[in-house]
Order: sequence, then structure tokens, then C-alpha cells
Amino acid sequence: MTTATKDTPLSVLLIPASVIGCLMVLSAVLMLGISVLDSFPGWTGLTLEHYRDFFENRFLLQAGLRTISLATVVTLICLLLGYPVAWFLALGRSKIAHLVFLAVLTPLIVSIVVRMFGWTILLGNEGLLNKVMVGLGIVSAPVQMMRSFWTVAIGLIHIFLPFMILSLTSTLGRIDPSLAEAAATLGSRPVRSFLQIILPLSAQGIATGSIIVFCLTTGVYLTPLWLGRGNVTVLATAIQQQILETGDWPTGAASAMLLTFFTLLLVAGYSVLIRRLGRR
Amino acid sequence: MDSARSLPSVWRILNAWIVGIVVVFLLLPILIVIPSAFNTDPTVTFPIHGFTFKWFANAIFRAEFIRSFFLSAAVSVVATLISLAAGGLAAYAIVRRSFRGKAILELVLLSPLIFPSIVLAIALTMVLGSLGLLRTFPGLIVAHTIVTLPYAVRAMVGTFHSIDPDLEEAAAVLGARRVFVWREVLVPLLRPGLLAAAIFSLIMSFDEFAVSFFVVGPGMTTLPIELFNYTEFYADPTICAVSTILIFLSALAVFAIERTVGLAKLLS
Repeated sequence: MTTATKDTPLSVLLIPASVIGCLMVLSAVLMLGISVLDSFPGWTGLTLEHYRDFFENRFLLQAGLRTISLATVVTLICLLLGYPVAWFLALGRSKIAHLVFLAVLTPLIVSIVVRMFGWTILLGNEGLLNKVMVGLGIVSAPVQMMRSFWTVAIGLIHIFLPFMILSLTSTLGRIDPSLAEAAATLGSRPVRSFLQIILPLSAQGIATGSIIVFCLTTGVYLTPLWLGRGNVTVLATAIQQQILETGDWPTGAASAMLLTFFTLLLVAGYSVLIRRLGRR
Repeated sequence: MDSARSLPSVWRILNAWIVGIVVVFLLLPILIVIPSAFNTDPTVTFPIHGFTFKWFANAIFRAEFIRSFFLSAAVSVVATLISLAAGGLAAYAIVRRSFRGKAILELVLLSPLIFPSIVLAIALTMVLGSLGLLRTFPGLIVAHTIVTLPYAVRAMVGTFHSIDPDLEEAAAVLGARRVFVWREVLVPLLRPGLLAAAIFSLIMSFDEFAVSFFVVGPGMTTLPIELFNYTEFYADPTICAVSTILIFLSALAVFAIERTVGLAKLLS
């Protein structure tokens, strides 16, 4: 094997990306380091105290639990809304399916700041939804919708639904339609054949989509900041406050590491699951 | 087609309704920004009262917006070029070579999900701070490249898998030199992957908020953060006007992609 490109030295191929990769790893190592120092800056010893502090600090613990429930809610709703759309996209070859596909991709290209602003116009006290509800007499006075858990959830669903749909569509598109047909010919009821054939075959897409949405949601910073405006504290905003406002680097770093470990566990569990599904 | 038809009509109707609702849900918050930009009222409301261009004038003549727009554009182009070059070489090594530490490199470069962006942001602030790169253009480039590189590598690993290794061999057997093989064989074959990587990377970088939030400073602020800062102090439709301009630019980009390669092909 002495071809020209095989001669391209490995160092030339790897050094540029490795420099950037090392910065990423260095960031994580730095966080890990700070989290076990007794104080920072100016440390005198190592300790695991700050990991205990996280669980004893009501503010951080609540932010952590809120982050997990937010990620769970967002992932489940993305899955429930995304699956029928992916189904429609995977099976349809019509003009309408193409337009729906464009509609799914459009938000990906529009800045998140623009979309956050759009939700403010829709859900604000003076917003369209409040005007419609007051106009129809459903409510007598505008309802305070901004700065709530559910508004942040809606904003996040809007951001991550396209990711879920793309992930599901790619798996659903690979399923041979004749399988469901065969089941129907053999007398299987459609709902049953969906549950027993299509759903298991799309499990990989469901797993990939869910892990992407869940992990990205646990790390989001802008949406809770913008739509929550200080009222919806998630772990990302809590860590930022702990470190930059309170100046408590070690506890903030410990919280950040707990978030990273949690994400790593999820991704590891996911790859085991995928390998299992692949073997079947 | 037939499996869809085999579902009872109740389910099909329900399915169509959900598709319709999702499309409205996805597009409404984007489209509603546009009419609000022309509102004469100094607050952001819908429906609008009267028609004016003054918010557009306000946006276009605001020096901070112009400066941050060009900064964002410059940062995303430079970060994308670096990601394409570094990512293309690394993707080639990942697909074609075996070497020690490959698994670790793959884990780091292909899993942007592993480090939550806030963790990256704060740690990077320290690293860049100690290098004296906070609130500088190079610092922003480093931050953005870290965000975009994994997406670029991922897109190009997929394309390298689809390129027949025999082609490079053939070129080499015929006497082509290393640089020539890259320039005349690999890069042209890699074009779909490069394009997908470039588009993803440009979008990710232009929209990046969390990591930049800690790296930027006075006079060195990217557009998303400049917009966020503006809304902390003002509630007039200027942001709608900026958003409308951004939507227009996005629409142009979508149109260009659709005409040249096709969005569906790009993302499949």
C-alpha cells in the first residue's frame, strides 16, 4: 500500500483537528479539576465536598430536577408530534410532502433569537394568543404566559422538533412498506401491525432522536434565559449564576460535571441499546 | 404508500391534522415577526396599526447592529473554513486509517452532545482568559470552531465512506502526486459533504449564543448577543425589523440551496 494519499502523513491529517479536540477535552478536565478543589482561586487541598454541596443546595438541586423534567417533557412531546410528521414524510412522495419537509427545515435556518422573539409576540401579555382568548371571552384578562416553565418548553420544542423529525424520517424511510402489507394480507389488524412491526423497526430512530433532543435540552442556555427571563432556572443558568455571580467556582464546576456525567451515562446507555437493537 | 393506506381512515385523518398543526406551529412564530416589523406602534403587537419603514431604518443605521452583523458573518466564515480543512483531514484519517487513540478522537470529534454547551462555555472562558484571547477575534474563532468542527467531521465522515478508495489508488498508480490527488480527486468527490458541512457550520456559528456569551465583550459582540442585549433595554419593533432581514436572508439561502443541490438531498 504505497499510494500517494496513504503517504499523507498521519500528523498532517490529525494535528489540526486534534488541537481543537484537545481544547474540548482540556475544558472538561479543567472543570473536573476545579470541582475537586477545596476553594478556587487559591486552593489548599482536594475534596469531594462540592458534589455533596450540590445535593444540599436547594437552588441547584431544584434547577437540576427542573432541567430533567424539562428535557423529559420536551423529548416526549417532540416524539409524539414528530412521529406522525415523519411517517407522513417517509411515505409520501407528493408535492405536499415536499412542502411539509421544507416547513420542517425552515426553522433550522432561522436564527434562534428571531424565533424567541416570535414566541414573545405570540405568548406575551399583549400577545396574539391573549388577544384572541380575551376577544373570544375565554378569559377576562390577559394570562401571564411568559416567564413560565411551559413557555420555555414550547420554545425548546420549536427548536428541537425538526431534529426529531429528521431523525425519525431517516429510519422510517428505510422500512420496507411491503412488510406492513404482508401483515395486512395475513389478516393482521392495521393498528396491531403498526405496534408489532413498524414501531419496533423504527426503534433506532426513536432512540437517536430522543437522545439528541434530551441531551441538547439539558444543556440549553439561551431559551430559558430569554423566555424565562430569570423566572425559570435550569441547570445551565444556575451554573452560570453560581460561578460568575456568586463566585463559587468549585460548586458550579461540580454541578457542571454532574450534568456532564449524566449526559455521558445517557449516551453510553443509548449506544448499548442501539447495539442490542442492531443485533436483533 | 400502501402501508399508509392500510391504516384506517380515522388514523389517516388524525395524522393529517397533526401534520397540519406541526407545520403551523413551526412556521407561525417565524412568520408573525414580519408584519410586526412594519407596525407604527412603538411596542411589539399583532395585529398591527399602520405601516412604516422606520424600524428598518432604525435597525440599519444602528452602528452596533451593523458591526455585530459583520463580525458574526466574518466569524462564521472563518470558523467554517477552519472546520472544513481540519475536519476534512480528520474525517479522512478516521475513515481510511487505523491509528492509536482513534476511538478517543472519534468520541471527542463526533459527539458534540457530550459536553453541555454551558460547561464548554465557562471552561473555555478560563482557557481563553489565560491565553489573553477573551474579547478578541481569534478567541471568538476558537470558540466557534469548537462548536462547528464536530458537525463538519460528521458530515464528511459520511461522504468519505461513500468514496471508493480504489479511485485514489488508481490516481496514485498513474503517477499523481499527493497534493494532486487531494485537489483533483478527493476534494471534488467530497463536494456534497463539504457543502453540507459548510452550511451546517455557517448556521451553527451564526446562531451560536451560549459559548459566545462569555467570550464577547464591548466592541466585540456577535449579532445574537447584540440582539439579546437590545431587548433587555428596549421593546420596540427594531428587533422585528432585524429579524425580518435575517428571515429574508435565510429564505434566499434556502432558495439557493434548493436550486443548486436540493435541501432534501443535502440532509439525507
